Amino acid sequence: MKLLFVCCTILAAAFAATGDECYKDSVRVCKSVLKDNKKDKKDFSLPSCSAKYGAILEMLPELQQYVNSHITRNFEYMLMATHYGNYEKSREGFEKIFMDLSDSKWDTAIDLIKYITKRGGEMKFDNIKADTVNDENASYELYELNSLAKALDMEKELAERAHLIHGQATRRRENLHDPEVSSYIENKFVHHHAETIRKLSGYTSDLTSLLSGPDSSLALYIFDDYLKKQSIV
Amino acid sequence: MKVIISVIVILAFVATSSANLQCEHAKPNIPTEWIDMVKPCVKKMRAQIQTELEASIQYLAMGAHFSRDKINRPGFAKFFFQAASEERQHALKLISYLLMRGELTSNVSKLIKKTIVPPIVSWTSGVDALKDALRLEAKVTKDIRGVIEECEDPKEEEGNGYNDYHLVDHLTGEFLEEQYKGQRELAGKISNLEKMMDEHKALGEFMFDKKLLDEL
Repeated sequence: MKLLFVCCTILAAAFAATGDECYKDSVRVCKSVLKDNKKDKKDFSLPSCSAKYGAILEMLPELQQYVNSHITRNFEYMLMATHYGNYEKSREGFEKIFMDLSDSKWDTAIDLIKYITKRGGEMKFDNIKADTVNDENASYELYELNSLAKALDMEKELAERAHLIHGQATRRRENLHDPEVSSYIENKFVHHHAETIRKLSGYTSDLTSLLSGPDSSLALYIFDDYLKKQSIV
Repeated sequence: MKVIISVIVILAFVATSSANLQCEHAKPNIPTEWIDMVKPCVKKMRAQIQTELEASIQYLAMGAHFSRDKINRPGFAKFFFQAASEERQHALKLISYLLMRGELTSNVSKLIKKTIVPPIVSWTSGVDALKDALRLEAKVTKDIRGVIEECEDPKEEEGNGYNDYHLVDHLTGEFLEEQYKGQRELAGKISNLEKMMDEHKALGEFMFDKKLLDEL
């Protein structure tokens, strides 16, 4: 019974926090200047005047991990592009689409950081999802079809993570409701992911049928030439 | 009759063999005389790519810090986010150079680390961060000089005495040029900001931030 009471008090306090706490803070600091003007150190902080509202506080760890995953993917695509840029592989089209993907992950990481701070949050670069880099020894020097397959897997993983964040912000987790977060995820991620995933899936279908033909080397050359003019993101 | 059977057999063979997916192709046989970079120099160049990326993530952390609601310095944030992307571009330029010289045909997966955690994540003021940025640039400059030294006169036995004129010229003319200009720019900004903040601490930083936001 006591526990219930404590819980209720905490909840009540939490709700009260959405009232006029920032105003009270501001009154407090203004008064403190008049009263203790002899003191050297004054506490001018306004803890209740942050930009946080809605469910952003609970969403933060997930969003921070999402930023860090984008930074990692940016490096991984960079390596895949580099591999296709060397003179032995010499596949400009593959190099281009992986570099485009790398650029896009980087830009998205910056965009996400700006978003986190827009909602009053803080970016934590050491909050890394445990299985993002499952293997430090993973190889990024892949054959053409395998590299497209890997990219498709990576994009799907990012898309599913976006769904997860969207779901949590839409009351999938108890009491969490933040339509601003879910709308941001929809507009900036969900639709783009669908485009990229569809394109990559289409490429793997094409390449699979081309590679089973009589001259797979020529097919690869022509497909690579085709990729040069495609935009993946 | 025999001919027909053998034709059928051959056709069947062709059909089944082409039903296999050929994903792997033999390495082409290309003369290697043109690949003339020496090992110690390549090693230094590869390490420099990681250095540039680490600088880029450090700038990213600065951008994130100044974007916070409690800090609210959008001009500084914009400046540092741009610096982060510039450092990343430097890494990509170094990669392109190595590819042009016939390097990076193997061991590509180990070229960069997949996660980088920035060593510093908060600053007491804008001028504090600019000073850190200048120190960071000075370190990068020193590292580039290290690459130049190794590529001009490689000390290790593997590359004894091989002067890589073109790379040395490229690093000196393009990379060092940008470093020195960037460092002067940072030093000038620190100078102006610190002088302003001498007597007008909060107002000085506020105004400088808005100016940064307009200029960039």
